[in-house]
Amino acid sequence: METVAPFKEVIDEIKAAGGEIFRLCYQCGKCDSVCPWNRVRTFSMRKIIREATFGLTEIDGEDIWRCTTCGNCVQHCPRGVNQIEIGVSLHRVASEYEVFPASVRSARTARASIISEGNPLQGERKKRAEWAEGLPVKQFAEGMEILYFVGCYFSYDPRMKKVAVATANILNKAGIDFGILGSLENCCGESIRKTGSEELFKRLARENIKTFIENGVKKILVSSPHCYHTFKNEYPEFMVDFEVIHITQYLSELINDGRLEITKAYEKKVTYHDPCYLGRHNDIYEEPRNVLKKIPGLELTEMADSRRDALCCGGGGGRIWMDTPMEERFSDIRLVQANEVGAQVLATSCPYCITNFEESRLNLEYDEVLEIKDITEIIQEVI
Amino acid sequence: MENERVEGSFFNSPADRNFGDVMVVGGGVSGIQASLDLATAGFKVYLVEKAPSIGGHMAQLDKTFPTNDCSM
Amino acid sequence: MTYTEVDSVEGEAGDFKVTLTKKPRYIIEEKCTGCTTCVEYCPVQYPDQFNQDISQNKAVHIYFAQAIPLVAYIDESCLYLKEKKCLICESVCQADAIDLNQTAEKVEINVGAVILSLGIEPFDPRVREEYRYGEFENVVTSMDYERLLCATGPYEGEILRASDKKHPHKIAWIQCVGSRQVIPGGNSYCSAVCCTYAQKQVILTKDHDADAECTIFHNDIRSYGKDFERYFQRTEELPGMRFIRSYTSIARENPETKNVAVRYSTPDDGVKEEEFDMVVLSVGLNPPADYEKLAEIFGIELESHGFCKINSSNPMETTRPGIFVSGTFQGPTDIPESVFTASAAGAQCGELLDYRRGNLTKERIYPPERDVSQEEPRIGVFVCHCGANIGRIVDVPSAVEYALTLPNVVYAQEQLFSCATNSAQEITDMTKEKGLNRVVVAACSPRTLEPLFRDTVREAGINQYYYDMANIREHNSWVHSKEKEDATQKAKDIIRMSVARASLLEPLQEYDLPVNKAALVVGGGIAGMTCALSIVSQGHEVYLVEKDADLGGTARRIHYTLDGMDVQAHLHDLIEKVYQHPLVHVYTDAKITDAAGYVGNFVTKVESERGITEIEHGAAVIAIGADVYEPTEYLYGEDDRVLTHLELEDHIVREEEKVVKAESLVMIQCVGCRNEERNYCSRICCGVSIKNALKLKEINPDMDIYILFRDMRTYGFSEDYYREAADKGVRFIRYEPEDEPQVEPGESEEGRPVLKVTATDYILGQKLEIDADIIALAAAVIPSAGTKEVAGLFKVTLSPDEFFKEAHAKLKPVEFAADGVYLCGMAQYPKQIPETISQAYGAAGRVLTLLSHDTVVASGSICEVDEKKCMGCGACLSACTYGAIEFREVKKDKKAVVNPVLCKGDGLCNVKCPTGAISLKHFTDEEILSQIDAAAA
Repeated sequence: METVAPFKEVIDEIKAAGGEIFRLCYQCGKCDSVCPWNRVRTFSMRKIIREATFGLTEIDGEDIWRCTTCGNCVQHCPRGVNQIEIGVSLHRVASEYEVFPASVRSARTARASIISEGNPLQGERKKRAEWAEGLPVKQFAEGMEILYFVGCYFSYDPRMKKVAVATANILNKAGIDFGILGSLENCCGESIRKTGSEELFKRLARENIKTFIENGVKKILVSSPHCYHTFKNEYPEFMVDFEVIHITQYLSELINDGRLEITKAYEKKVTYHDPCYLGRHNDIYEEPRNVLKKIPGLELTEMADSRRDALCCGGGGGRIWMDTPMEERFSDIRLVQANEVGAQVLATSCPYCITNFEESRLNLEYDEVLEIKDITEIIQEVI
Repeated sequence: MENERVEGSFFNSPADRNFGDVMVVGGGVSGIQASLDLATAGFKVYLVEKAPSIGGHMAQLDKTFPTNDCSM
Repeated sequence: MTYTEVDSVEGEAGDFKVTLTKKPRYIIEEKCTGCTTCVEYCPVQYPDQFNQDISQNKAVHIYFAQAIPLVAYIDESCLYLKEKKCLICESVCQADAIDLNQTAEKVEINVGAVILSLGIEPFDPRVREEYRYGEFENVVTSMDYERLLCATGPYEGEILRASDKKHPHKIAWIQCVGSRQVIPGGNSYCSAVCCTYAQKQVILTKDHDADAECTIFHNDIRSYGKDFERYFQRTEELPGMRFIRSYTSIARENPETKNVAVRYSTPDDGVKEEEFDMVVLSVGLNPPADYEKLAEIFGIELESHGFCKINSSNPMETTRPGIFVSGTFQGPTDIPESVFTASAAGAQCGELLDYRRGNLTKERIYPPERDVSQEEPRIGVFVCHCGANIGRIVDVPSAVEYALTLPNVVYAQEQLFSCATNSAQEITDMTKEKGLNRVVVAACSPRTLEPLFRDTVREAGINQYYYDMANIREHNSWVHSKEKEDATQKAKDIIRMSVARASLLEPLQEYDLPVNKAALVVGGGIAGMTCALSIVSQGHEVYLVEKDADLGGTARRIHYTLDGMDVQAHLHDLIEKVYQHPLVHVYTDAKITDAAGYVGNFVTKVESERGITEIEHGAAVIAIGADVYEPTEYLYGEDDRVLTHLELEDHIVREEEKVVKAESLVMIQCVGCRNEERNYCSRICCGVSIKNALKLKEINPDMDIYILFRDMRTYGFSEDYYREAADKGVRFIRYEPEDEPQVEPGESEEGRPVLKVTATDYILGQKLEIDADIIALAAAVIPSAGTKEVAGLFKVTLSPDEFFKEAHAKLKPVEFAADGVYLCGMAQYPKQIPETISQAYGAAGRVLTLLSHDTVVASGSICEVDEKKCMGCGACLSACTYGAIEFREVKKDKKAVVNPVLCKGDGLCNVKCPTGAISLKHFTDEEILSQIDAAAA
């Protein structure tokens, strides 16, 4: 067995990067027992934390980049260790040294794209509103009821653009006075922050906040749980407080208030997948289900591992930009779970989840078996 | 529960109906022990228990460690 | 007063006015015989609370089989109470005990003091969904499991799964459910009892099913109590038993088998998922339900977790004078603590109310005893149904009929519950009426009820030894529940044997021994002084004997506790009180040279600076404390940078530079114990190391502190300090006994002379090498050097670990098997200062139960020597564990003599005597042979 000495300098760096909470760990293994990684390969969060405790972190290794920030260990940790904070601090240290394993390099591309174009998808900034061409979608102006903050994936990704369109259609149908920021919109910064790019996150946040203020934004509607999370829980670090609402919450509200009327049936068996950043991170479990339950003909079924125990799609924490070997994708397991309960449609409400699920759908050759839908896409069909 | 014999009874009260020395609240093992000690040491005790029987949680246990003696 | 709640407590110490509400039982307690006829007829099925809702009971029922009082009550599920229907119970009750019009009754009482023994509430795992309790059928709590194990439980002692009523074969226990967690719904503290109760459940499970596969998932096994370490090993060595160090998650339920899949993580194998037939949640202890309301009613303050706020220098004290607390309401504790804190709270009531002791109680007066020695035996036989316990199996009427045919039996009858007050009265009455001179009750074990029936016979004016008990329950109906006819025959056999013996019984006299009102306390540490002061505060003289020149004991070397108590200030205060109290006589530099006598009448010789004194006393308390192991490990004694934790504390208090300015300090736990030589845990060391680490971090926050441990045993609220230490940056490294840390002198990278400590870290799978400036060893607490000598003098025994052995591990934690000798403090086992203080008060409370009487009664069933047959071989002397037999010179011969007061009547000597000279009264050869003959007849 190898003998090593605690590496004080590394410990201090991790502490300085905000990861000091490792100190609370009493090595009970609970985090490992709930971590989705252990369904596909061996991975020990406990060990990551232990290494950080003694400054023995393999800063250039793959393991520190694995955590998808799904938050399952955080919600179970009996000692109150925030594993996500530790992971992020390790990413900051690695970014400082600019050491990245091969699988992480594509995340660097995303970062570069955010820096230059304000999105991780290498889309041109000026084309951010291209998805809305031909639709009655206005530029946001002061006095409007709500700002629809579209988000990067919905603006550029061909699959996700459909969701943005569905959302706009629904809002118009309900007669909402809304607008978008178009090229003024910037990446929210949630995921890039998780990869350790703290300064970039701060820049994005400041720019977005500035735009919101300059445009007189009061209430923000988002399609992505990641935008929701950072606006709601992280932007207040900059001493601002905008009202943020996720589309599933908004839909639930509109339907309940009678502003949006469901007129058609949807005769399919649907299961709902809780995105980590909607469920575990923000406690939104009921609204999406309430929306689906309002649809006549729709049979809602629950998969194994739902709500608090929902299995992560694998896309959080910047993992959406990294390479995950085929046999290590949580989203494959999730699709099998959906199929096991006989669902025809796997509904969710997160761009990362949908992206990963669509890919798994191809891999598993599930194109005849299962449809992947954003909740808005279902609603669009029934109003 | 091995009950000790107590000289002078603590359930029936003598002359002063509602006067006692000590009220013990809770008829689990601790409350019973305190009552027995005090009664044996010459005090009149009221043992007040909210359940229909004394015994507390210990009465629900099958055996006790590390001797594996019966709890009752 | 059962089924009663406290509404308010007004007034002050010495004069409290209490308002109580007696809830309606809808049963007239005085009339109910506990026959359970009403229960049989009641049509309402309702989950049985006592059996954790696993089985059903009726709306009218007795709380549990051995309930006290053994009377029924009607709960809210009653049809009449709900819809004014039914009333079947009223019509079937022959005692007219049902009264459905009862209402809650307010009662006011006046008392001088109050003791709160409010207990705990088991943690309800429903508050955290992750445990799946209530969702997966085969996930049960440990409390449910206790009921499953129990013969009086829902399936009469069969462990069955809820899903299919089959025996589970593969069972997992999940530890720390609701404990040691800072997540919503959980408790941050350690519940202190779960590790060992889970082991108990494993052992009992293996008794039920020797092939059962049991797994305990844990994160530290906390076997910190007396004999717990051996118990842990006993469990560990069971075949098919695994201890796995991992918390778990309950993953899913197998839809077909309803087995429960558990996921856990080990450093070697990573995360595994395994299916179990049943999962037991080792639930922790919560404060009593409604604790906030209770605090308001009693006018007391609570600590942050909802338990009673106590003073660590007197843990029985609440924030309201005159109201004391005992048991688990002080914080999560085990049964022995609950018992001695009860005695301790009693002692404090005694201190407060000594002036009125005896005013409200009165002695029982028995009728004069009739001399029946010249009469022929006239035996009465009373056969008990014990509700359904006996009656459902044994044909009681036929047993009664049979009894009447036996020689000397002149009367026989059946009784529903012989132990019920009215039945006992019936025995007394019939004895008088029929002129009986011997009584046999065929019922349960003499262990529980013989004293009651002896008393009953005595009430009838008959010598109480003219009584015999035939056990037809434990020895018969409980074990032969499926063979009713054979059981009835066996009952008859047992009765016949008992009757044969009863014919030969002789009247025996019990002795009233005078009680000397003074106590001797051996040991002048915190335990001895606390105990002495409580005794003298209740009006009795105390002789306090200390071997050193100064009082204080080990506490002289302790300065602070985890919870911030100033030990030296407390100690000075105690010493001052001891010297100032006129009733305490202190002997320092003292040595006990002889101790003779027996309960109530001891004579002890003490050599001290006062010369030789002969002290007469009625009770003795052994409080001689403990010593610290002097390590031979880890360069202790060779390198002055290696200290014991006591030395470390001393250095910290004196702010010695080499310690408080150290860059790096390593503590090593379990030095000199939890090994072959000392197979026990010293209990206090984990807490002590955390205490010192926190103190050092306070003085020098930059110091690197490492604690190398085997299991962190910060039980109870100490767990909070464990987390605090981690939060302050103290690092914890676990080691295994077969891979102990290595220490050798060396140099740091910067060239600083250091001690190199190497230890394996199991999570990293690497060896860590740490540079230490100071090493502090958690040296074991070992029995005081004087233990064996003192044990010999007072004829008391020692446990395997050579601490003093109490009379009963759970229920008599401050007494010895020898009457009149008591025990407290570290002499019994290592313990923290607040625990020592509680136990010392507890011993005082027990001493008072003796000293407050003028006499004590010694049993009549004792041994006797026939001098003619005795040849003075001494075999009996060595057989007696109580030192009750001595030699006496008779005409140049040595003859054995039994001291009737010390004899416990165990009969060990009888067997050893080669000439049959020694016999045990009430169990004479003749009596026993007559029973055997009757059995064979």
